[in-house]
Amino acid sequence: MNEKKGISLKISGDKLTMIAAIVVVFVLFTSLNRNFFSVTNIINILVSASLVGLVAIGHTYLIIAAQNDLSPGSLAAFSGVMVALLISRGMPVPAAVLVTIGCGAVVGTFNAFMVNKIKLDAFIATLVTQSVIRGFAYIICGGKPISISNKAFLLIGKARVFWIPVSVWIMIFCILIFGFILSKTKFGRSVYAIGGNKDAARLAGLNPQKIIFTCYIIMGVLCAIGGMIFASRMNSGQPAANVNLEFDSITAVILGGVSFVGGVGDMSGTVLGIILINSFNTGLTMVNVPSFWQYVAKGALLLFALTTDYIRKQRREKELLAASMKNAV
Amino acid sequence: MENVLEFQNISKYFPGVKALDNISFKAYSGEVLAFLGENGAGKSTLLKVLNGDYQPTSGKYLLNGEEKNFLSPHEAIEEGISVIYQERQILLELSVAENIYLGRMPAGKFGIINTKKANENASKIIRDFGLPIQPETKVKDLSIAYQQMVEIMKAYSRDNLKVICFDEPTASLSDSEIEALFRIIRKLKTEGKIIIYVSHRMDEIRQITDKAAIFKDGRYVDTVVTGQVEEAQMIHMMVGRDLGDIYNNLDRKKTIGDVLLEVRNVSSDFVKPNSFVLHKGEVLGFSGLVGAGRTELMRAIIGADKMKTGTLILEGKEIQNNSPHDAMKHGIVLVPEDRKMQGILANLSVAGNINISMLDSNSNQFGIMNQEKEEEISREGIQNFKIKTPSPDKKIVELSGGNQQKCIVARWLTTNPKVLIMDEPTKGIDVGAKSEFYQMICKFAKQGMGIILISSELPEVIGLSDRIIVMKGFKITGEVMREEATESKLLSLGMLGEVKDA
Repeated sequence: MNEKKGISLKISGDKLTMIAAIVVVFVLFTSLNRNFFSVTNIINILVSASLVGLVAIGHTYLIIAAQNDLSPGSLAAFSGVMVALLISRGMPVPAAVLVTIGCGAVVGTFNAFMVNKIKLDAFIATLVTQSVIRGFAYIICGGKPISISNKAFLLIGKARVFWIPVSVWIMIFCILIFGFILSKTKFGRSVYAIGGNKDAARLAGLNPQKIIFTCYIIMGVLCAIGGMIFASRMNSGQPAANVNLEFDSITAVILGGVSFVGGVGDMSGTVLGIILINSFNTGLTMVNVPSFWQYVAKGALLLFALTTDYIRKQRREKELLAASMKNAV
Repeated sequence: MENVLEFQNISKYFPGVKALDNISFKAYSGEVLAFLGENGAGKSTLLKVLNGDYQPTSGKYLLNGEEKNFLSPHEAIEEGISVIYQERQILLELSVAENIYLGRMPAGKFGIINTKKANENASKIIRDFGLPIQPETKVKDLSIAYQQMVEIMKAYSRDNLKVICFDEPTASLSDSEIEALFRIIRKLKTEGKIIIYVSHRMDEIRQITDKAAIFKDGRYVDTVVTGQVEEAQMIHMMVGRDLGDIYNNLDRKKTIGDVLLEVRNVSSDFVKPNSFVLHKGEVLGFSGLVGAGRTELMRAIIGADKMKTGTLILEGKEIQNNSPHDAMKHGIVLVPEDRKMQGILANLSVAGNINISMLDSNSNQFGIMNQEKEEEISREGIQNFKIKTPSPDKKIVELSGGNQQKCIVARWLTTNPKVLIMDEPTKGIDVGAKSEFYQMICKFAKQGMGIILISSELPEVIGLSDRIIVMKGFKITGEVMREEATESKLLSLGMLGEVKDA
């Protein structure tokens, strides 16, 4: 019993570190700019987090399953352009949204196909998609942003329910649903199992290809939703938008305790990661850090996340060794 | 020159395994010391600690009274400790002399290598060793035995060589070559080197060694003078108890039931077509050398590898296994050979591992897991299989190897299988847990399950099986009933493909 308590305390130790980091970011930026810690700004942070947040849900699943995806930025931009195009051609909003979500699912299927059937490494496979889909985002609109005037569609990005924008509600809703699926369902358990050891999971009767396939589809759909929300906020579908979106998302997920090793992490960590990286990014802009330097700062944050991941891994191994010294016969 | 090598309380842990447990003893100059023990007793691990390949978890070793802590084999060699491994570690494209002086060829001004001098020096050593080879010869043109000699000369060429260890050196040598090796070992002995000799061959140990340090399950048992102690006595010390008793006292089923599984001409990309029959309540042993195709045949049967030809008939009905998932649905399950890579899910808990094949029946129509049911199953599994774990939430990798293996068996038994295939189930497991596994296997057979037991340990396969199938070169070469099974019969079927009765 004592053992169990010890371990759960340590896990929350990781989370506490994250919360502390968020507090530090808030204190730091508030001291530099009073407006940072204000309702308006916090809502701003949440709004800007809504797109990254959706993608980070997808990355949580994929990276736990020992996969990855570098195409979300392109896919989100493509989806924004796609929905704008369909609406401008007179398609009813619900139909346009569904078609766009369908496109996201197709891209996810394509990624899964490359990984499952052509046995490509996820990084390389989705790098292909990143380029191809960015290309299509420009092709379908002829390189020019398509503006959106449909009132109903613009509500998605602008309307508020209980003072909080709809886009944020969508993110919260998705986090709750997918968090539940990850921790409480058969599918969620399978994601952890194949991420930990694909071969062993297959021999234990699971179907790793099917699970990987589903994870990529989830990511495709989330990117499509995120891209449409972004387009609604911008009043237009922009083929050049959302570059480096996957970068922020992966940073958030790794900061939150999901490990590149696979099979490790959870949704609550990702939530903390999203909050941290978005307050960090917003803060940099508010204290007028030049955008060139923001790139450097973001890189530093990812390096920090990876180092943390490495230290956690080392610590897990050390604990294991200590435990096996006690239990070995 | 007098040398003393001393181990003081050396322990080495790997996750789930205590490879070395508080080992202390000394080895002296001018004697050949055998390391004796079963597979997994810790002999090779101790050599790897000594030559800096592994760092001990605790304890220390001293050479001539001075504490050493080598961080790499290179450091150990620099200080005069060399290990000659089974797999030769020489560069085939280089000459004998270049190999002997690898990394320290005599060089003149501007670092230009003096090949002539190297050849002269090498010639001297070759003459000392009494070998009919030339220093200029490329090593790839030498026989395996002489390649090994080059390695020994490489160690010998260092002036400060103090300890030389041989790990199963005769595995691929002919009788006359072994004689040549022994001559050199005796020469090294008279020069005051400490010689450690690891081998399973009792006749060689009698011939060449003076003393034997005996290991069992990672512990040092004792050192005996080779000439003074009976071989049977040494084996008893290695094994700790008479394994024969374990087999004789098993509660086995008297009668074998109807045909359960018929395998007809099953082949895959990795194994030739093979046919056999398994009965209800039968323990069917699969013997053969490592790489004979036993694992591959089973993988084809459970759909882990694609079946190319053949049919499977389970209880009279033809079935198809396109994946291990299909096989599981049909009640055919496999406990894989490589527990770490293919058996356990290292990131999950004991409970998670036991339940992973029950996800379908432990969840409702929306796929939501029933936590109480899961807890119940893992509790039962832990109880029924006597899994030693402080809690079901413990990570499986924290358990010992035997207990990890029990979790895998518990995982499958909750699915109520008809055919249980176990691939080397007792590999790397200590003797106590082994006998528990044997009892388990007999119990399952008694309950009517068909058991396929792949094992490379002959006493195990003979002691447990009702019938034994032998494979060689990806084909079944013979079948022996329990009553007629002898080690020599199985070996000759496995190595020659036919029974050659002496």
